Amino acid sequence: MEIPRRALGKTGLQVSVLAVGGHHIGDPKTYEEAEAIVARAVDAGVNFFDNCWEYHNGRSEEWLGRALRGRRQRVHLMTKVCTHGRDGALGLAMLEQSLRRLGTDYVDVWQIHAISYDNDPALAYARGGIVEALAKAKRQGKVRFVGFTGHKNPDFHFEMLTRGFPFDTVQMPLNAMDWHFHSFTHKVLPEALKRGVGVLGMKPMGGTATVVKKNVLTGEECLRYAMSLPGVGTTICGMESLEILESNLAIARGFQPLDAAAMQAVRDKVASFSGDGRFEVYKLSLKFDNPETRRPHGFPIDEQQKEIKDEESERAALPGVDSMRTTESP
Amino acid sequence: MSKDEEGSTRREFLQQAAAIGASIAVGGAALAEERVALIDSRGGRIARKPFGATGQTLSILGLGGYSLGQAPSYEEAERIVHEALDAGLDFFDNAWEYNAHRSEEWMGRALAGRRGRAFLMTKVCTHGRGKDVAMQQLDESLRRLKTDHLDLWQIHEVVYWNDPELIFRPGGAIEAIVEAKRQGKTRFIGFTGHKHPKIHLRMLELAEQHGVRFDSVQLPLNAFDATFRSFEQEVLPAVGRHGAAALGMKSLGGGGEAIQQGAITVDEALRYAMSLPVATTVSGIDSLAVLRQNLAIARAFKRAMSSSEMQALRQRCAGDAADGHLELYKTTMRYDAEVGRSEHGLPSPKELPL
Repeated sequence: MEIPRRALGKTGLQVSVLAVGGHHIGDPKTYEEAEAIVARAVDAGVNFFDNCWEYHNGRSEEWLGRALRGRRQRVHLMTKVCTHGRDGALGLAMLEQSLRRLGTDYVDVWQIHAISYDNDPALAYARGGIVEALAKAKRQGKVRFVGFTGHKNPDFHFEMLTRGFPFDTVQMPLNAMDWHFHSFTHKVLPEALKRGVGVLGMKPMGGTATVVKKNVLTGEECLRYAMSLPGVGTTICGMESLEILESNLAIARGFQPLDAAAMQAVRDKVASFSGDGRFEVYKLSLKFDNPETRRPHGFPIDEQQKEIKDEESERAALPGVDSMRTTESP
Repeated sequence: MSKDEEGSTRREFLQQAAAIGASIAVGGAALAEERVALIDSRGGRIARKPFGATGQTLSILGLGGYSLGQAPSYEEAERIVHEALDAGLDFFDNAWEYNAHRSEEWMGRALAGRRGRAFLMTKVCTHGRGKDVAMQQLDESLRRLKTDHLDLWQIHEVVYWNDPELIFRPGGAIEAIVEAKRQGKTRFIGFTGHKHPKIHLRMLELAEQHGVRFDSVQLPLNAFDATFRSFEQEVLPAVGRHGAAALGMKSLGGGGEAIQQGAITVDEALRYAMSLPVATTVSGIDSLAVLRQNLAIARAFKRAMSSSEMQALRQRCAGDAADGHLELYKTTMRYDAEVGRSEHGLPSPKELPL
């Protein structure tokens, strides 16, 4: 059975209901494991690949680029830009670096990464800001479509969508818990659909999958729920092993959306746990905010965070990363 | 201190309180709307303000219980408590859970023989659990604080979005604090939290629906808060309308990062906080040096900042305030303590520091 494809807003792109998350592509111990995941996903009919300039300090883009050699035309490739409030020129420089790492001369979708803080929409829209850079890159043909992403607060997404720029895509956490707590499903999804903006869902299990580990929902229930939400183009899943990929592929093949009653049943199971956000820690904590997201805003970093530990070892391997790192406030 | 000295201080205190009561009767209605006038006190002691409409007054600076338990030794904590009292600081903050109970133990020991001079507050840490847990914690707090009653008992750390509902559910913590007040185990009741104005407003809304009146509400108030998810703008007026006294906290933004980064000075930050319509400003003091620094600012504080001076400070801080990186209690989990997280099924501070 095929993995179904759906229209992504008004872009004209047809995307598989399941997409491969770029952060987890950088997780395996070796490049070979990452390549096997990418190759298997493409062969199974997954055609949407997520990534980001800052994931694993560039390793995710490098590995995905390498793995897509000879496969580039079979996929829609997305990456994200990490200015986090800084100016558009920096964003365009990051794009060049992303293209180089990804081994391509264009990306299908280029998104502003991590609208995470209250003033991010204002900074993105500022004169000379990243929104202008998005338009410029699109004119230059380096990117086909543009959007933004974030997991923190639906109000920030709503402001981004309604402040005037015609985004092609928007990425947000969409899962059964979100229905009950600071809800992107309620506040952002309808606005995106009204505007014909393509919707990229993420974090179907709440990021840490705590809801699964606590035996409240199964992974399958989570993924089916997320892929069934009306209007969602694709659901981006982090899959750091072939085993996880295969189990998700099994769900995606011939996927039929849950009906309204089944959706409600899934939501009901998490209702009593969702009032404090315990299964969606990205809305409460900085845990999911990459050091590159925090630094320009002056937020503290965790010494124990993987990216921080990786930075030292990868600095030598990835010249150029430091030139775009900065601790300056926007 | 001899019994005689203590007796005379106590009399002085009561006389002062009575005089204040009279001044409230005159000024009364305007208190909630306008910034509260300072009540000057003599002899180099720090000024006082009314504690809502209770007739009681509090020193404009309060001693934070968490940081007291962080002092290098009990001996230093004791000296902090005694020196504070002698300077006229009489508002003592604490919580059942601070520093695994060391804060209450040290404060109780240091206040032995001086209890009558202090306005003693502690907080209950049910974090969603019910009345029985709360009453048990009250007994434990009283034992550690070596007293038979509190002046103020507050519900601690109302920071999770479903906390108001959990507190006001049948058998919830609200029933404990109301009963404790009826039993005379506490004179006044209130609640506290640092996360979001809407959570505080929900508490006040539910209180009104349930016919409960809080005597106090504790909230973060500083020049950064003034323009970012603002308790000052959204909650402070509602506290006045509820008829409660506001207790300010986090005058430096919680961890002092704003001071270290030069965004504001300690003097500006404390004077701004003390100029708001609050009864007191709870200050984190973990050494004699910090105590003396803050007492000097409080002693010199003879009248509130002018409106234009406050507005200028708000404007100067607005840029730094706009993403919340100087108010990490609102934007991260750093200030959400172990017990609350555990009750809400969230990872411990060690696992999830921010």
